Amino acid sequence: MSVNLPRLVGARVARREDPRLLTGQGSYVDDHRPPQMLYAAFLRSPHAHARLARIDASAALALPGVVAVLTGEDIARAAKPVRAESKTPSVKTTSFPPLALGKVRHVGEAIVMVAAESRYVAEDAVEHIVVEFEPLPVVKNTDEALDPASPVLHEDAGTNLLVSREFARGDVDGALAGAALVVRERFRFHRHTPVCMENRGCLADYATGSQVLTLRSSAQCPGLVRDILTDLLSMPEHQIRVIANDVGGGFGAKASLYPEEIATCVMARRLGRPVKWIGDRREDLLSTTHAWDEIVDAELGLNADGTIVGLRAQVTADVGAYSIYPWTAAIEPVQTISFLPGPYKVPTYRGRTRGVATCKAPLGPYRGVGRPPAVFVIEGLMDRAARRLGIDPTEIRLRNFIRDEDFPYKSPSGIVWDQSSFTGSLVKAREALDYKAARDEQVRARADGRWLGIGVASYVELTGIGSAIPVSPGMPVSTGTEAATIRFDPAGKVTAVFGVASHGQGLETTLAQIVADEVGVPIEDVRVLHGDTEISPYGTGTYASRSLVLAGGAAILAGRAVREKMVLIAGHLLEADPADVTVVDGRYSVRGMRDRSVAVQQIARAAYSGSRRLPKGLEPGLEATKFYDPYYGTASNATHVAVVEVDRATCEVKTLRYVVVEDCGRMVNPLIVDGQVHGGVAQGIGAALLEEIVYDDHGQLLSGTLMDYVVPSACEVPMMEVHHLETPSPVTLGGFRGMGEGGTIGAPAAIANAIADALSPLGIEVAELPVSPDRLFRLLGSAHGAKP
Amino acid sequence: MKPPKFEYHAPTSLDEALAALGRYGGDAKVLAGGQSLMPLLNFRLARPAALVDLNRIASLAYIREENGQVRFGAMTRQRTIEFSPVVAQRVPLLKEATRWVGHLPIRTRGTIGGSIAHADPSAEYPAVLAALDGEVVARGAKGERVIRAADLFQTYLTTNLASDEILTEVRLPAMPAGAGYALEEFARRHGDFAIVGIAAMVVREGQRCKLARLATAGAGPVPVRLRAAEEILERQGLGEAAIEAAARKATELVDPDADIHASADYRRHLTGVLTKRALTRAIGVARG
Amino acid sequence: MVTVRLKVNGVAHEGRCEPRKLLVDFIREDLGLTGTHVGCEHGICGACTITFNGEAARSCIMLAVQADGAELATVEGLMRDGKLHPLQEAFREHHGLQCGFCTPGMLMTALDFLRTNPSPSDREIREGISAVLCRCTGYQGIVNAVRAAAPILASER
Repeated sequence: MSVNLPRLVGARVARREDPRLLTGQGSYVDDHRPPQMLYAAFLRSPHAHARLARIDASAALALPGVVAVLTGEDIARAAKPVRAESKTPSVKTTSFPPLALGKVRHVGEAIVMVAAESRYVAEDAVEHIVVEFEPLPVVKNTDEALDPASPVLHEDAGTNLLVSREFARGDVDGALAGAALVVRERFRFHRHTPVCMENRGCLADYATGSQVLTLRSSAQCPGLVRDILTDLLSMPEHQIRVIANDVGGGFGAKASLYPEEIATCVMARRLGRPVKWIGDRREDLLSTTHAWDEIVDAELGLNADGTIVGLRAQVTADVGAYSIYPWTAAIEPVQTISFLPGPYKVPTYRGRTRGVATCKAPLGPYRGVGRPPAVFVIEGLMDRAARRLGIDPTEIRLRNFIRDEDFPYKSPSGIVWDQSSFTGSLVKAREALDYKAARDEQVRARADGRWLGIGVASYVELTGIGSAIPVSPGMPVSTGTEAATIRFDPAGKVTAVFGVASHGQGLETTLAQIVADEVGVPIEDVRVLHGDTEISPYGTGTYASRSLVLAGGAAILAGRAVREKMVLIAGHLLEADPADVTVVDGRYSVRGMRDRSVAVQQIARAAYSGSRRLPKGLEPGLEATKFYDPYYGTASNATHVAVVEVDRATCEVKTLRYVVVEDCGRMVNPLIVDGQVHGGVAQGIGAALLEEIVYDDHGQLLSGTLMDYVVPSACEVPMMEVHHLETPSPVTLGGFRGMGEGGTIGAPAAIANAIADALSPLGIEVAELPVSPDRLFRLLGSAHGAKP
Repeated sequence: MKPPKFEYHAPTSLDEALAALGRYGGDAKVLAGGQSLMPLLNFRLARPAALVDLNRIASLAYIREENGQVRFGAMTRQRTIEFSPVVAQRVPLLKEATRWVGHLPIRTRGTIGGSIAHADPSAEYPAVLAALDGEVVARGAKGERVIRAADLFQTYLTTNLASDEILTEVRLPAMPAGAGYALEEFARRHGDFAIVGIAAMVVREGQRCKLARLATAGAGPVPVRLRAAEEILERQGLGEAAIEAAARKATELVDPDADIHASADYRRHLTGVLTKRALTRAIGVARG
Repeated sequence: MVTVRLKVNGVAHEGRCEPRKLLVDFIREDLGLTGTHVGCEHGICGACTITFNGEAARSCIMLAVQADGAELATVEGLMRDGKLHPLQEAFREHHGLQCGFCTPGMLMTALDFLRTNPSPSDREIREGISAVLCRCTGYQGIVNAVRAAAPILASER
C-alpha cells in the first residue's frame, strides 16, 4: 500500500482557532457563568513572614450577598496537603497549603477565601475580615536565607536550602588549574514573571446528584490537575473533570497546580453551587509563579586556541516561599546546571546548584526554565573568552560546537544530544545577517562615536521528552506519554481527541494537519478536541515543548491504525487485495485501475454498517486510540544574533536587527513556528531590557502593576528575521522536535552579548539582567574614564 | 480589582457639580477623564464617599482664543487637543506634548483639566503649563479664582485646589509666532509616564535668544521651571556652548526622586541630556 | 442602582447596576458580550478596548453608568454579513493572534488608529498598536496584518 505524500504537514495553514478568537467567541474561563454561580475573592497577606494568630470573618459574613468564607483550617479538613515530592534525596519536600496554615511566607499569599454574589461584594467582604498577625523577620534574599541565624520558612524542612544538586564529569579543577585562560564572572539574572494577558482563573462546580466535580481552569495541564485533585480531594478520578478550553497564554505560568484551584473546588463542593475565581492583575504579579531568579558564579577554562577544557559553576536560585506542584522547587535550579554546557564539547564539568527559600512568591516554570539564565552564562563566558583571546565570537563557537561526527554526544549532565545543527545554524545566521557587513558597519559607527554591538547566542534545548527523563528532575509524576483518539463518523468526518491543552500555540491546527495527512482527508474534515479530561485519552497537558512531538506522534500512530483499517475495508469494497490499494487525494483505488475507487465517506459508512459490509472477522467501527512515548526525547537548537545600539546619552538600548536561525526538525506549520519564535524573542528582549520583579527589604512587592513590571509593547520589539533549518529528529515519529521556548532561551543572552560588544572598547561586561538604562548608566559611570 | 462603593452624581451644570461636591465635606472626588482616578479606585487606593462626574457638563469642553491666550475648558479631551488646528497653530508645544500622553485610547477620555488637577509628577501637561507660564481657573463655593502655574503645583499629586473647588479652565499664552519648541521625553516604554521629560520653548531674534522657557516632568514632585538655565540662553545666545551650559545648569536645579525605574542620579543625568536635546530641537525650528 | 441605556453594535440595550460597576463588566455580564476581555483593570494592557461614540476607549477604567446614552462598538460587531471584517481576515492571514486574549482590544485599537492614520508607516503602526500589550505574538504578525489591511480599509472610506 502506498502512502499519501505529505500535503498539509509543512504548509502555512491558516489557523482553525482564529475565526472564534477573532470574533470574540472564545471560551475562556471567565466567559462562563452557570446559574447560581458565586464569585470568589481572596484575602492576601500584607506581610512577608508572619504567624497567623486569629482570623475573624464574622463582619464579612454579615454583609449582604456574602455566602461563605473558608480558611486554611477549613481546607485542611477537606483536602490533603499539597506536597511536591521529589525522588532526589537532596530536595526537601515541603507543604504548600492552598490557604495559609499557621503562618504566611510571602506577601500576596492567600489566607481567606470569600464566596459572594459578585466579585465586587466579595472584595468588600475581604476588607471586613480581621486577621491578626505576629510578624516574623523577613528572609529577603538567598544570602540571608542561608545564614543560620535567619528564620527557617518551613520548620519541617529545618533549613531554607530546599534543593542541592550537582552534575560533574572529569577533573574540572585540574583542567581549570592548567588552562591557558580562565574567564570567570558572577552573573545575576533577576526575577521575572510570565504575565499572560489572561489572568489565572477557575470555575468549579460540584454536581451533588452525579457527584461529579467539574473544574474549568486556565490550566496548561488539565490531566495533571485532575490526577492530583483525585488524590487531594479523595475523589475517584473518573468523577473529576478538568476543562481548559481557550486559555489566554501560559508560558509555564499556568502549568502548576495553584492554591486557588484547590480552594475553589473545596468551596464549590461545600456549597453545592458553582464558584468562580478570576485573578486580577495585582494577584497575578503577587502570586503567579516567578522565574529565573538566579546568581551564577561560573568559570570557563580554555586552551589558547579557544577550545574549552572545563566549565565550573555554582548556581544559587531564589525559589521563593513554596515548592510548586508537581515540578518542585528543583525545576529551575537543576535545569540550569543540566544545560549549562550548552551545545559545546565540554570535557570536564562541575555544576552545583542550590535552591533557597525566601519570603517571595514561589518560583516556577517560565518558557525556557533554567535555560535562559544558563545560556546567558555560557554565552557570556564564550564572548569574554573570545575578547580575551582575540578570536571572533562566532569563530570561537564554531571551534567548540558538538559537530555532526560527534553525535550522539553525551553532555556532562547525562543528556544525550542525538543530532542537531549547531554549526549549521551559526553559519546560516552569519550569512543571514551578512556578518562581515555588520562588522564593517560597526567600525564606521564607532568612528562616528556610536556604540553599536553585535551579540550571538547559540543554544540547544531538550524537547519532546518521553518517560526516560522527567520534565523536572525528581518530580513525582510521569509526563512521558500522550495519546490520540482518531474517530471517523459515518459521514466521513474525523474527530481527533488529545490530552494536550493548546493555549495559543495552534495545536488545533497543527494536529489537524498531521491527522488529515495520515488518514487522507482535507483539513476541513478534521476537528481537533483537546483540554478536556472527560473526553481525552489520558494525557497531562501542554508544557516543556512536548505537545507536537508526543501528541503528534500519537496522532501518527492512531492515524496509521485507522488508515490500515480503511485499506482493509476499501479492499473489501473494491474486491481487491488490500496490498493493491493505493490512496490518492482521499480516494482509495486499486493500483493501475483508477476507475475502481471508493471515497473516504463510503469506507466510513461501511465501517459503521455492521459486519455485512466488512471483511470477515473485521470489527465494525473506524477509530483508534494510540499512546506514544518517545522515551528519551529530542532537541531543538538555534542561533540568535542581535544588533543593538546603546544611546550614549540616555543609556537606552535599541535593538536594530534580530536574526534567528532555528531548527525544530520537521516543521508542521511554519506560520506557527515563526509566531512562537517571535513571541519568545519578544519576551526575551523584555527580560533583557525591561522586566524585573522587585521586592523591597520588607518583602513588599514594588513591581505590583503593569506600569512597574514593564513588558514590551510593539515599539520595544524589532522586526525579526527568522530562518529555518529542518533536521528531522532521528528518534521521534514524524521527525518533529518540539519548539516554542527558544525565544526566551536565546534572546536575553544575545542582547546581553550585543550590549557588551557595543561597550567593549570601554571594557564593560554585562553580567546582570535586565540591563535597564539606569543600570547601564551606573555601569558606565563606574567604568574608568567613561562618560555618557 | 473592583472599586469600593461610592455615591454617584452626574450633574449637567457646573453649579450642580459644585453643589454636589460641597455636600461631602471634602470626601467627594471629581471624575474627569478617569484615566488616572479609575485605576486608583480599582486598586481601592482612593475611597471617596462620592464621585462627581463632570462628563455630562457639555459647557466645560471648548477651545477658545481670548486675550492672547488659548483657553481650554477643563473637560476638553486630549484627543481633541491632539487634532485641533487652533492648538497646532497657537500652542504647538501642547500638541507635541499630547503625542506623549499615553496612547490614543487614553486620550479619547483623558482631559486637560483632569491631567493638570491630578498633578502626577511625571505628566506632560503640567510641565507644559509651567513652561508656558499658563494659569488655571478654579471655581468653588467662595467663587472663582485664577491660579498661576507657579502657584498651582504643591507636591506629588497635590495642587492648591481646595476640596470643594473644580478646575474649570486651563489658559495657555499663545506662543509667539515663529517660536521654537520641543518636548523631549524618556520613558521605559512608548506611552508610559516620563522618567524625565523636558518642555522647551525658545524665541529667537537672529542669534540672540529673546526668550527661553524650560520645565521638567518626572524630575521632582512638581514641574520645575529651570529659570537659571533659561537665563543662560537669554544671556549667552543659542550656540552650542550656551546649550551645554544650560543643560548642565538644569541638572543642578532638580532634586529628583528614586524609584524602581530610575535612580535620582540617573534622573538628574537625563535632565541634562533631555534639556540639551529639547533646546537643540527647539532652536532648530525657531524662526526669527 | 442606576439604569444604563445604550446601543452596542447597533442594538439597543438596557440594564441596571451599581454606579461602581465597570463598563467592561457590564458589557461582559449584563450584556453577555464576553468578547471584550479584562486584562489589568488599570488601563495599561488594552485588552478591554471598545469603541465609545466612535473612538477607542478602555472599558476597564470607565463606569457603566458613563455609557448611558452612548453608542458602543465591540469586537462582536465587526463581522459583516457573516464574513470576517478585512482587518480580522488580515489577522488570520498574517498570524496576528495566538492565544486570542488581547485580540479584541487589538482589533478595536487598530481600527481606531487606522481611522486617524489611514496610510501608516511600520513605525507608526507600532506606535499605534503599542496601546495594547500582547505576550504571544511579539507583534510581528500584528504589524504585518495591520499593514496589509490599511489600504483595503482606506479604499473603503
